[in-house]
Amino acid sequence: MEATVLYNVPHEVPWKVYIPLYFYFTGLSAGSFILSTLSTVFGIKRFKPMALPAAIISFLLLLLAPACLILDLQQPTRFWHTLVPEYFNRMSALSFGSWLLTAYPIANLIYIYYIFVKNDRVTRILGMITVPLAIFVHAYTGFAFALVRARAWWHSALMPGYFLTSALLSGIALLMVVALLVDKYRKEKLDPELFTSLRLMMVGILLVDLFWMGSFWLTLMVSTADGYASIWYALHEKLYVYGEIVAGMLVPLVLLVFPATRSSRMWLYVASLLIIGGVFLMRYSVVFIGYDIPLS
Amino acid sequence: MSKLVSPDGGTVPQEPSPTEETKSIDSGAPRPKRWGMLVDQRRCIGCHSCTVACKSENNVPLGYWRSWIKGLQKGVFPHVGTFFLRRLCNHCDVPPCVQVCPVQATVRREEDGVVVMYYGKCIGCGMCIAACPYDARFFNPIRRTADKCDFCVARIDQGLEPACVSACLTGALVFGDIDDPSSEISKKMASVGTEVIKPELGTKPKVFYIQADRDLMGRIKFSNDFNDEIMEYHKHIPSPDASYWKKGR
Repeated sequence: MEATVLYNVPHEVPWKVYIPLYFYFTGLSAGSFILSTLSTVFGIKRFKPMALPAAIISFLLLLLAPACLILDLQQPTRFWHTLVPEYFNRMSALSFGSWLLTAYPIANLIYIYYIFVKNDRVTRILGMITVPLAIFVHAYTGFAFALVRARAWWHSALMPGYFLTSALLSGIALLMVVALLVDKYRKEKLDPELFTSLRLMMVGILLVDLFWMGSFWLTLMVSTADGYASIWYALHEKLYVYGEIVAGMLVPLVLLVFPATRSSRMWLYVASLLIIGGVFLMRYSVVFIGYDIPLS
Repeated sequence: MSKLVSPDGGTVPQEPSPTEETKSIDSGAPRPKRWGMLVDQRRCIGCHSCTVACKSENNVPLGYWRSWIKGLQKGVFPHVGTFFLRRLCNHCDVPPCVQVCPVQATVRREEDGVVVMYYGKCIGCGMCIAACPYDARFFNPIRRTADKCDFCVARIDQGLEPACVSACLTGALVFGDIDDPSSEISKKMASVGTEVIKPELGTKPKVFYIQADRDLMGRIKFSNDFNDEIMEYHKHIPSPDASYWKKGR
């Protein structure tokens, strides 16, 4: 039937690009932190040289992340309201998140100190305490989306897992770039086995990410009108299809698996940088395609 | 009240006894109210008086609306129709905005079920705007916090009706206590079929509609060209500057 909307009031998107940037920075931070604990907590000796640089990168990114969140607030000077115990909302993922975001950098800094003084036993204990913090500090952002029932694009139980695996992916890709640079400019060379294991981890997590994505597509396509609309919208969004999926996932996957490119340092660089960009686009599309489906 | 709506003669005289009981309870502790609104779309003529009254009562900045009317035209001549839907905060009993607020700046008042904002607490994170399934919230550019319809809370606390209800020309808006069986809204709701927007989300809205059109209540407009419709959504935004609502990017 012919139908025309005469007038309606859509409200503007409340968030700016700082929000996907924030997810991106916490994701990178959590990913590199978990990589740093592989040798200190889980005892995989091969990753030993990565422990300190990974932890320091993770801490530096953690300084950027809350800054992005505060910049996005309409009332930046009131950010401390989230840390007033009386205002704590136990139903809100953001309430838990702001406490985690305060506790995690502190724990991270103490952890870095003990790696620096080479106290392996204390490092191990601190790592064990901080790993769950690192996981939760990123998973809560997934929950913040998954708990929004209004928007079908966000309201999915897969969301926290998807956020975590892509965080790990971007963390490993960043560490790969750092390791390649370190290897190039330092006298003592890193173990080539390190690059192989980093590469295999990236391939594995890329496959898991592609699996999440396929699950999203399938469930949304037979979901409510809203869900169907969001996946239809997403598949027509060039940034999502060519940016996130092709350039951010499929091309790096081919580069990392194909024998001719996987042994070359240059292609490893390219693949890692593509993954780092693709994970940012994933955050961006999760946030803003959610707003593309009108609610009024 | 129209003859169609309420068989006054039959029901009203029988009701005083339960009302008296509730009043006797009242004398001990005040019975909690549940303010609700009934929007009779059969009576709505789309005059926008409620929108104007809301803006002047609550001093809503230019370009922003706490409540508004959505209009839709359907059909091909000579079989045509114009439909309206009054949109406002639905004052859910299970409000998603209250659930996500990190600082308890928006709460559902226990004494009357109205979802109110505490502007001094609000940090402006925008999570409630993202979580509202009715798009009833927005950032007030002057106050720089989230803002929304609050049933004119200052007026209803003084025993007045919300400004939109007072302004309505045709009596299409009925405001009252939906827990009190003798209130006008309860009587009207008992005698005619009502619906709410997006009941499947389980938010239990307290704004009820009579004969609201399906195409207006939905998130997206349903039609045979469903796919094209989604792609062309932005053309349906009837604003002179159709991109302004995406300012956030």
